[in-house]
Amino acid sequence: MSVFDESMIPMLEVFIYETTTLLDQLDEILLEAEKEKILTDDNINEIFRTMHTIKGSAAMMGLTSISTLAHRVEDMFSILRETPSKMNDQNRGHIFDLVFQASDFFKSEIEAIQQNGDDYYPADAGSLIVEIEQEGAEMKGEAPVTPKPQPSPAAQPAAAQAPDQPAQPEPAAPEASPTPAAEEAASENGLHYVRVFFEDGCQMENIRAFALLSQLKDSCGFLESEPHAPETNMACSSDIVKNGFLVMFRPAPSSSLEEIYSIIENAMNIKSYEDVTEEYGTVSAGVAPAAPAASSVQPAPASAPAAAAPSAEAKKAQPQAAPQPQPQPAPQAAPPKAPQRAGGAGEGGIGRNALGKQSLISVNQSKLDQLMALMGEIVIAESMVTSNPELKGLQLDNFYKSARQLRKLTNQLQDVIMSTRMVSLTGVFQKMNRIVRDMNKNLGKEVELVTVGGETEVDKTINDVLGDPFMHMIRNSMDHGIESPEERLAAGKSEQGTITLSAQNVGGEIVISIADDGRGLDRNKILEKAERNGILTKPASDYSDKEVFGLIMLPGFSTNETATEYSGRGVGMDVVHKNLETVGGNISIDSKAGEGTTFTIKIPLTLAIVDGMEIAVKHDTFTIPITSIKQSFKLSEDTQLLTDTDGSEMIMLRGDCYPIIRLHEVYGIDTEVVNLEDGIFVQVENENKTACIFVDQLIGEQQVVVKSFPPFLNRYNLKDAGFSGCTIRGDGSISLILDINNFLNKF
Amino acid sequence: MPEEFNPATTEDDLTGRFLTFYIDNAVYGIELTHVIDIISAQEVTNVPSTPAYVKGIINLRGSIVPVIDVRLKFNIPEREYDDHTCFIVVDIDDMQVAIVVDTVDEVVNLDNQVTASLPEFNNVNTKEYLRSISKVDNHLVLNLDCEKFLEDGNGF
Repeated sequence: MSVFDESMIPMLEVFIYETTTLLDQLDEILLEAEKEKILTDDNINEIFRTMHTIKGSAAMMGLTSISTLAHRVEDMFSILRETPSKMNDQNRGHIFDLVFQASDFFKSEIEAIQQNGDDYYPADAGSLIVEIEQEGAEMKGEAPVTPKPQPSPAAQPAAAQAPDQPAQPEPAAPEASPTPAAEEAASENGLHYVRVFFEDGCQMENIRAFALLSQLKDSCGFLESEPHAPETNMACSSDIVKNGFLVMFRPAPSSSLEEIYSIIENAMNIKSYEDVTEEYGTVSAGVAPAAPAASSVQPAPASAPAAAAPSAEAKKAQPQAAPQPQPQPAPQAAPPKAPQRAGGAGEGGIGRNALGKQSLISVNQSKLDQLMALMGEIVIAESMVTSNPELKGLQLDNFYKSARQLRKLTNQLQDVIMSTRMVSLTGVFQKMNRIVRDMNKNLGKEVELVTVGGETEVDKTINDVLGDPFMHMIRNSMDHGIESPEERLAAGKSEQGTITLSAQNVGGEIVISIADDGRGLDRNKILEKAERNGILTKPASDYSDKEVFGLIMLPGFSTNETATEYSGRGVGMDVVHKNLETVGGNISIDSKAGEGTTFTIKIPLTLAIVDGMEIAVKHDTFTIPITSIKQSFKLSEDTQLLTDTDGSEMIMLRGDCYPIIRLHEVYGIDTEVVNLEDGIFVQVENENKTACIFVDQLIGEQQVVVKSFPPFLNRYNLKDAGFSGCTIRGDGSISLILDINNFLNKF
Repeated sequence: MPEEFNPATTEDDLTGRFLTFYIDNAVYGIELTHVIDIISAQEVTNVPSTPAYVKGIINLRGSIVPVIDVRLKFNIPEREYDDHTCFIVVDIDDMQVAIVVDTVDEVVNLDNQVTASLPEFNNVNTKEYLRSISKVDNHLVLNLDCEKFLEDGNGF
């Protein structure tokens, strides 16, 4: 039997997506705050809100374990929100740990839901809940042992678990406190009314309405809505869909009306909004300001249960509705305080909201993949038309003019499609922060992770593949690379180790490096181990440093004698290698004993379409990626040609000597162009070698769509022979794409 | 093209039916369930670093399909492709391969025909890839074992 209500299933995906996003943000805040050793008011509010949203949506999905835990964390932070001083040096670490644990629990639950779907059974967060309750109790200065939560939180879980029942009969909304009413009375004319309509079919309108309220909260001195407290009542979603969501507010002193409208405008999933101040404002104005409840739509918060909304009673079933002797500020409960917060730190908060609420939509990745594949077909089809052999020799000025226009547009289209698939590495980098933090705690090391260039964007496919390799490499660096603080001090280094994770865009490649300032790789130890495993193919002394370090990429190779929790089984670097290979990347290792190790990863920016130079050898065409080409040239009379004792040919260019690779020879093609004067040279380079490839002729530059070889050919190891794939040319024939890196390594 | 290639024909109808083709003067058969398409000979792009019997790759309506010459695979001297030369595109374990044959003959139903196990052959290379021999009307059909035909990598 499924734990999910039938009607909830369609919302599951949205729930998972939103909760995951929230949790990622939460981790980010926590890590940042832990580093700074202080939780700002902003942070506390943010965490509080996050927990509140998770609680609400989890309860809606019927996920009691998640909502209860979120609720407890929310409780804990509500205390902190009231009195930030409750968090001191002694308990700070513990609080962070608790929230991290909670975040982990949520994540594992979400993962379980994703994996098991209908067969998901909630895990028990009991012990964690008790711990958090204790912490909360301690902060409040009560007896630490509270197996049973104190009255108020006890009442709240019930409400949280069953939010769509009017569990709390008394509509004692916090807003009923005299302050807002008084304020409202004082400045009745300053009230604005806006009716918001959400996008059709965006679902969970009530939660979205609540999200909007939370965003507005900081900028509004007074804020009320109809339906009231939408997040607590699923049923009001349909009302919102039908009648719109009415927001009543008065701007805080620090915020202008424009700011508020721009928040509304930029909020997610909003279809339209209209200013209805006149409609309501005049009605209210006509009535005594202190009792505006007379109108059918109530600007006055306390009187929500009146005529208009039959479900008003249910709406009151918000978890915060309990009579609160102790501080229990619901998000809406603190309008009088809002201006202070907005004044203090509101700027950053608003800025962030505005940034995060660009008009984003989430699209299924398979659709983007499809779009990409179609784009590839269009590029091929376009060149099939424009370089159709039947057009040869015809005078077609207008045709070529239109063709150029088409080319321009397809190029633009391609750029746009590519850019939709680009995501920044920030997310992946962020996860590494978390790993470093946990390992620091467990290994007793002090390592700081410095990230540079997290904003670098890569294709989504690449981004997905990078997480695991990064994790393994960071683990390796932390476990093997960086020494214990004592060792570091003894070696004359600072106690704190540093791992630098940096990414940058170089040419057509993403270059990512992971550098630690640890002990470095031990050449002799690696060789010794390799010799014992019998993987050396030549005398140990013949190995260059690069080759030696390359050995650690082999599966099952670990110099650690014992496997630890984190590394040493020899699987990690193999995973790194395999994952990178799937996206056409490569890795190189550089290390200096005592100074540290640097892993450098290079990945081509895009996988699907490359700019290539097409060359011909007899009837066969090959494509060389433009990024690998330095220049192409014909032999001039004064170019010096050399032949060494092995008979290999060399060419002298501007004082440097480069080997000549005759493509027809290495691939056994029987061509008439064998005289170096008759053909043309293409000078290509990879990271450690430059050579000149001799071909019959250049055909021209062409954007090509990379197609992988059919699986039948996998057995022939074409990658090692210097091919990365093939492409269909404009006339329907096939051209093989050279992988210059492998090509130069082989020939 | 024989009417058996009508897509409406279910797989059940195809079992037991063989497409026969000529290599030199011998008739070979291949299970119809494996056959996707028969196309006339077209230009093949050579792929270096592969054995000689892998002629290369072709572009079959946008997908890349490798081409294997049955003659070369069986150590029979190669001959120029002519109007009769056909590429039979087969699908084995989701691997599409085009095999080059001298000419396609017909589709026969071998269920009711006399099928015998293999006699001793002199040509070991050929025998490896055969499953059985059938007598159809008055000639013999050598039934190709497609899986074996494609699986080995030691044909260098």
